[in-house]
Amino acid sequence: MTVEATDGITVGPSARPSQDTISLEIARYRPGHDEHPTFESYDVPYRPEWVVLDALNYLKDQVDGTLSYRWSCRMGVCGSCGMMVNGVPKLTCATFLRDYLPGPIRVEALANFPIERDLVIVLDDFIEKLPKIKPWLVREVEQPLEEGEYLQTPKELADYKQYSMCINCMLCYSACPVYQNDEHFLGPALLALGQRYNHDSRDQGAAERHDVMWTSEGVWDCTFVGECSVVCPKHVDPAGAIQQAKVESTIGWQLSFAPPVPPLPFGRKQAEET
Amino acid sequence: MVYPRQQSNFWYLKRWPYRIFILREFSAVFLAAYMVVLLILVMKVHDGPAAFHDFADTLQSPALIVFNTIALLFALLHTVTWFMAVPSAMQLRRGEEKVPPQLLIGAAYVLMLGASVVVLLLVLV
Amino acid sequence: MRRSSEPLFWSLFSGGGMIMAILAPVLIVVTAYLVPADQVEFGRLHAIFTNFFARLGLIVLAFFTFMHAAHRLRHTLIEIGFKRFAQPIAAGSYLAALAGTVWAAVVAFS
Repeated sequence: MTVEATDGITVGPSARPSQDTISLEIARYRPGHDEHPTFESYDVPYRPEWVVLDALNYLKDQVDGTLSYRWSCRMGVCGSCGMMVNGVPKLTCATFLRDYLPGPIRVEALANFPIERDLVIVLDDFIEKLPKIKPWLVREVEQPLEEGEYLQTPKELADYKQYSMCINCMLCYSACPVYQNDEHFLGPALLALGQRYNHDSRDQGAAERHDVMWTSEGVWDCTFVGECSVVCPKHVDPAGAIQQAKVESTIGWQLSFAPPVPPLPFGRKQAEET
Repeated sequence: MVYPRQQSNFWYLKRWPYRIFILREFSAVFLAAYMVVLLILVMKVHDGPAAFHDFADTLQSPALIVFNTIALLFALLHTVTWFMAVPSAMQLRRGEEKVPPQLLIGAAYVLMLGASVVVLLLVLV
Repeated sequence: MRRSSEPLFWSLFSGGGMIMAILAPVLIVVTAYLVPADQVEFGRLHAIFTNFFARLGLIVLAFFTFMHAAHRLRHTLIEIGFKRFAQPIAAGSYLAALAGTVWAAVVAFS
């Protein structure tokens, strides 16, 4: 059997009809100028190795310098290039033109967020809600520096690691009809973030977070549409995190009927000693 | 001036995942409606053989056959989507490793098939 | 700890969802296809439905199924644009489910 040397990148797409250009329909919104966003059509060179973000960069460099959008790392880490691509929230740096042949490709600002300009969204709502979840290690008493770091076993790490992979790209909010419907809903990423700390063996703030998370605005308005987990580029599975928190909230609710348990000696005792 | 986004009243018709979601949610209505049919059947059984056979004939009417078939399809949709969600609520771990979701889903189907066989044995044999 | 009613309704919703995920398809096959096709004897059904535990089981099944449906319908209606009526929808759904359960109890022990 002979194996022909092939250009790895073009193996897949070369099977499809080749084309020189692909058309992009981009939602433009100029504040103070436009009543509402309108689609404008642009042709860009088609390259199988190009992602949607490459096409946008081409347009901004070569065709229209006023086109506005956010991006930074171009490698799925910074979480700033999220946009709707044909109606689905995507990181445009990981969304290849070759998967949308022959085109056109519709690019819009992420759904469920106000638009600042063109493809740039307003994140204020998320930023205001973020501290409510206390996304840091809450300690009753900080361990003195000379005692070293808080140690953790691989098993304890595995308990929350998945939830710590979030890059705040907002794709999950954009996919979530509950967030769209309810302005008070904390949303998928923040609830997963709460689980990330609640499941961290070094953290002691779970009770404080439960007051925020075990409410309607927290986990209970979620109806498990599940799209947040589908669109998540980092496999955080916020829908699973919320389901898990619902189970924990239900157990906590059942325990609230049990007679009061004497305070756990650990931690408290430490607090009294210092 | 930022452009505020409005919620479409028919967002659930826009994409397949949302369409399946809304069908999944309305499966509950069919389950409840079927429960009513089941209770009527029990009522007829308590009323005696004549009432029961009358009702068995009624169940053969086209309208009820159509309803029952739709209810069965919705029940199957409910079963499939419910079992798919089981690993989300039951995140079991063996040490550092997650118990594979397929294992939990498989166990749910085994349970369902077992229960179905028991029901059929009770009723038929 | 604050007590929200959601864990109670969610538990019932989940219980009903699990029971019906397991039982609904086979039950529908029995009543919709086997009973009309004369495959099920009257005597057998009579024996089952007059058994004390089967009567109780029927009430439990009806309760969980109706509560499951009520909870799901309530949240879905809110989500598809009836948020303004959240209160009456919730009250109506759960009350209907309870009424259905009472009816089921009457039927089961008739």
